Amino acid sequence: MIGVRNVLVQAGGRVILDIPLLDFEEGKRYGLIGENGSGKTTLLRVLAGTLQPTHGEVSRQNPDGLGYMPQSPYAFSFSVLRNVEMALENAPDRREKAACALEAVGMQNFLTARGNKLSGGEAQRMAVARMIAKPRQLLLLDEPTSSTDIRGTDSIENTLLDYTRSTRCTLIFSTHSPAQALRLAEEVIFLDQGRILEKGSAREVLETPQTESARLFLQHWRI
Amino acid sequence: MDVIREIFGLLFGQDPELRQIIGVTLRMSTLSTLISALLGIPLGVIIGSTDFKAKRFINRVLHTLMGLPPVVAGLIVFLFLSRSGPLGTLKLLFTVTAMVIAQIVLITPIMTGLTANIVSVKAPLIHETAAGIGLRPFQRMLYIIYECRVQFISTVLTGFGRAIAEVGAVQMVGGNVQFKTRVMTTAIMMQTNMGHFEFAIALGVVLLGIAFLINSLVSRIQESAGLA
Repeated sequence: MIGVRNVLVQAGGRVILDIPLLDFEEGKRYGLIGENGSGKTTLLRVLAGTLQPTHGEVSRQNPDGLGYMPQSPYAFSFSVLRNVEMALENAPDRREKAACALEAVGMQNFLTARGNKLSGGEAQRMAVARMIAKPRQLLLLDEPTSSTDIRGTDSIENTLLDYTRSTRCTLIFSTHSPAQALRLAEEVIFLDQGRILEKGSAREVLETPQTESARLFLQHWRI
Repeated sequence: MDVIREIFGLLFGQDPELRQIIGVTLRMSTLSTLISALLGIPLGVIIGSTDFKAKRFINRVLHTLMGLPPVVAGLIVFLFLSRSGPLGTLKLLFTVTAMVIAQIVLITPIMTGLTANIVSVKAPLIHETAAGIGLRPFQRMLYIIYECRVQFISTVLTGFGRAIAEVGAVQMVGGNVQFKTRVMTTAIMMQTNMGHFEFAIALGVVLLGIAFLINSLVSRIQESAGLA
């Protein structure tokens, strides 16, 4: 459904991403983990089409069914409800659908609040509501809970699990938390310096890493 | 005390010259600001929100033009409009139109540069977020403009402030002709040179009052938009 072939992204002479072949199966949940600068965001941006690779190609079956949430999603200065309605364009019942999505992430009391007055965590929950307001085939989320507290994180994770199960949507998200990857992902891809070092079932990669880099990264988590 | 009384007498009296000077100043500044905004803001949005090869060079030129000395702008317009210049047949020299043209030359780069700076800060994130929810490029551009609207108003008012306070260029192409092209700044300069300080101070008070009104307006707009 979505995949990359011989993708190379370079910036300032440095290789940011170098992936010969990567395919994602329909309806599965994938977690991208790795240190800062490992290429998680770049891979998501390439998949979303907001970054053109230096060379290589990205195959997407249905670009219209794609939703991408950047690491710091922009909260528009109008109401929270309208911020979510943006994703529904001309749907006749967009108000109800937007309100429903906001309720799913625990933002039902913020409908009339201005988007630009929200805290970082609230803005992130609103952005997740924007993603799940309509059925999509593919969700690309860049650290969707990086600013949320424990309750917010829990709410977003449960919402995403419910959403992907009910819509059979493919989910690809990046995270710094192996625990979150274990809770949310079926498959985990470990990136290091723009290259895929490990790929497999979440439990397999996180519990029995095969490479030294992955072992070092996960060692801090175990402690 | 007599001086203060005279100033108040001029400000609230029926002096035809003072009224005419204020009228010409406001007409010239408003017109030049509006035209500069119509040219500069769309150009700034394009420069600030898109990536193209010559962008760095254009930004460098723009920043140079933002600091264009008024007398240089005045000189360029003067040469174009003088009898032997390419636009000499239009007979615009020493008219309000010539002053408006000189101010457009001065203010448009300022508005373009300020707009491009504002947009380049917000555009990448808005673009990425809007693209992520499936909005088309034209819709994204509209949202970028919408989100920068308050800053655009501030830009326009900055341009107006520059226009109303400008003296060098308007003096050169307007000629400071009484009851025709005399504006507040050129009048203040002339009256001070002639020793008529009351008239100069009265005009200064009006200029300060307008500046205060502009600042109040900017704050009010920012507050009502929830951005202050």
